[in-house]
Amino acid sequence: MNSAFRRWLPCATLATWSTILLIFCVSGRMRAFLTPEFRLGALAAGIAMGVMALVFLLFPADANCCSAAECGHTFFRRSTGKIITFLILLLPITTAAMFSPSGYSGSVVKNRVAITDASQLGATPRNAATLKPVDMPLPTKDPNNAPAPQPATATQTAPPTAATAPQPSQQPPPAQDYLQRTPDGRIVAEVLDLLYAAQDNALRKDFEGKPVELIGQIMPDASNNASGKRFKAVRMFMTCCAADARPVAVLAESDTKPDLPEMSWIKISGTATFPVENGRRIAVLKADKVEKCNPPEETMLY
Amino acid sequence: MPWFSFHFQDFALSFLSVLFEGIPFLLLGSLISGFVDVFVSSDRIARLLPKSSTASILLCGLLGLLFPMCECGSVVVIRRFIKKGLPLSSAVTYMLATPIVSPIVALSTFAAFKAHSPWEMTVLRLTLGFGVAAVVGLIVEKLPVSAILRPGALGEPTGPRRRAGLSVATAPAGETLDFGAIAQSAGFGKKLLLTVQSATADFLDVTVFLIMGAVVASVFNTAVNQEIIYPLATNPPLAIASLMTLRSLLSICSTTDAFIIASFATFPFAAKLAALVFGPLFDFKLFWLYNMLFKTRAVVALGIGLFIVIGLLCWRISALHLG
Repeated sequence: MNSAFRRWLPCATLATWSTILLIFCVSGRMRAFLTPEFRLGALAAGIAMGVMALVFLLFPADANCCSAAECGHTFFRRSTGKIITFLILLLPITTAAMFSPSGYSGSVVKNRVAITDASQLGATPRNAATLKPVDMPLPTKDPNNAPAPQPATATQTAPPTAATAPQPSQQPPPAQDYLQRTPDGRIVAEVLDLLYAAQDNALRKDFEGKPVELIGQIMPDASNNASGKRFKAVRMFMTCCAADARPVAVLAESDTKPDLPEMSWIKISGTATFPVENGRRIAVLKADKVEKCNPPEETMLY
Repeated sequence: MPWFSFHFQDFALSFLSVLFEGIPFLLLGSLISGFVDVFVSSDRIARLLPKSSTASILLCGLLGLLFPMCECGSVVVIRRFIKKGLPLSSAVTYMLATPIVSPIVALSTFAAFKAHSPWEMTVLRLTLGFGVAAVVGLIVEKLPVSAILRPGALGEPTGPRRRAGLSVATAPAGETLDFGAIAQSAGFGKKLLLTVQSATADFLDVTVFLIMGAVVASVFNTAVNQEIIYPLATNPPLAIASLMTLRSLLSICSTTDAFIIASFATFPFAAKLAALVFGPLFDFKLFWLYNMLFKTRAVVALGIGLFIVIGLLCWRISALHLG
C-alpha cells in the first residue's frame, strides 16, 4: 500500500492533470476557459506536471525524501483518508473535463444579468475589433504600387491593420476604413463595439445608420420589448477565466423573430441604430436577416 | 426566475476554468516551496530578516511588490518558510498582503476603475490591504503559536501516534530521518529530485483545498441569481456587507477581481473598496487553504475579524466622501 501512495497514485494524479491540461490546450478547447494570457500558464503547468509524473515513475519517493516524523504534508491519518484524498484530486476534474461544454447555457446568462451598458465594463476589451483607428500609410505618387484592399473577414480577434486600408490616392481616406467589412460592404461589428458606440459620440458616427453584421447568441428580451419584436444578441465577456465571464448584450429588432433555442449562435445583418430609451442611449440593431451560424473560433470576448 | 437553478455542464465549465487558472500559480508556489525546502537553510532566512519583529512584519507586508504571488500559491510558500524559521507573524503578514500589495493588482485595479476614481481606489486598496495585513501580523505576534497553527502542520511530532498523512513517502517504522541534513549533504542532481518530490507533496496537499473551494464558488456563480443582491445597493452598510460576501463566495483571483467588482455600478464606492480589500485576504477558496495550516477557530476568527474591520473602515471612508 505504501508503494501505491509513494509512487503510483502521485504519478497517476500528475499524469491525469497533465493530460487534461495538454489536451485542452492543444485541441483549442482552452479558448473557452481562459484568456490568452492565462493559457500559456496552463500549458506550462501541463508540461511541468507531465515531467513531475515522469520523475515519480522513474524515481519514486523513498524514506529519504520525506521522513514521516518531519513531514508537513498531513491530511488524513489513515490509508482510507489518503485514498479519499486522491479520489478528490482525480474524480472531479476528470468528470468535469468529460462533460464540460464550450459555452454557458441561458441559465447562466439570466443568473449573471446581461450588461447592456458599456460603462459597466471598466477597461476597454482587448479583442474589440474596431475601437481604434490605425495610422494610415502615407499616400504614394504611383497609384499602381498601392497594396490591394484585402476583404474583411468576420473573425473575432484580428485587429484592424494598415494593410486593410487601400491608399492609392493623395486624398485622405474615409474615417470608416479602419472598420472590418464583409465583401458586400457590411461592417463586421462585435456586441462590444455597439455598446461602446452608444456611449461615445465619435464612435457612434461610424456605426449609426450603417449596414452591420454581428454574431452572437440569441436570448429573449423581457425588459425592453413592448412590441415583442426584440431579442438579445449575447456574448460572454471574460476577464481572466470563464468563471468570471459576464454576458454582454445588444438588442436586436426583427419583424420575424427567429424561432431558435436559447443561446443558439446567430448572424444578424441589419442597420445599427442608437435610440434614447428610458433616459439613456442604447444600441438597437434593426435586423434585415437573422440566420443560424457556427460558433466563432473564440466563443468568449476578452 | 428562481434564485437557484443548477446545471451540471455550466458548473463544470466554471469549475474547470477556476482550476485551470489557479493550478499554474499553485504549482509555481509548490515549486518555490520545494526549492526553499531543499536549498534554503534556516540560518539564511534568519540573516535576511530585520532583527526587530515590527520591522520584519512591515517588510514582509511589502514583499509582494517585488515577489507578487497569487493567494493560491502564497499559503504553500509560507508553510515552508515558517518551517525554516520565518516568524509566524511575518509569514501571516506576507500571506495576507501579497495578493493585494502587488504591481499587477495595482495596474488591474487602476484599469478597471479608469472611469470612476482610479487613483483613489488603487491607493486605498493597496494601503488598506497593507495596513490590515500588518495589523494582523502584529496581533499574531502577541499570540501563542499553538493557538494558531494546526498541530503537525509543519511536521512537528504530535504525540505517540505518528501522523503519516498524505505524505508521498513514509519512513520505515521506528526511524526518524533528518530531511534537512539529507538535503544538505546531497549532490545537485539529488537536490533537484528532492525539490520535485517535496514540491509534488505540497502541490497534492494544497490542491485538494483548491478543488473544494472551486466547487462551492462554481455552484454559486453559475446557479445563484445574482440579481437578488441588487436591492441591497441602496443601504451603505448592507451594500458593503453584501458585496464583500459576494466577492468572497465568487473566489475570484485578485489580479482581475477589480473588473468584476467595478461592474456592480449601482453599489457605492465604499462597498467596492471593501470587497476588493476583503476578497484577496479571505474568500471561500482561501478558507480551505488556510485550514490546511491554521486551526479552524483561528481561521474563522480571522475571517470574522477581517470582515468587521474592513467593513467598518470602508464605511468610515464613505462618510468622508472619498471616491
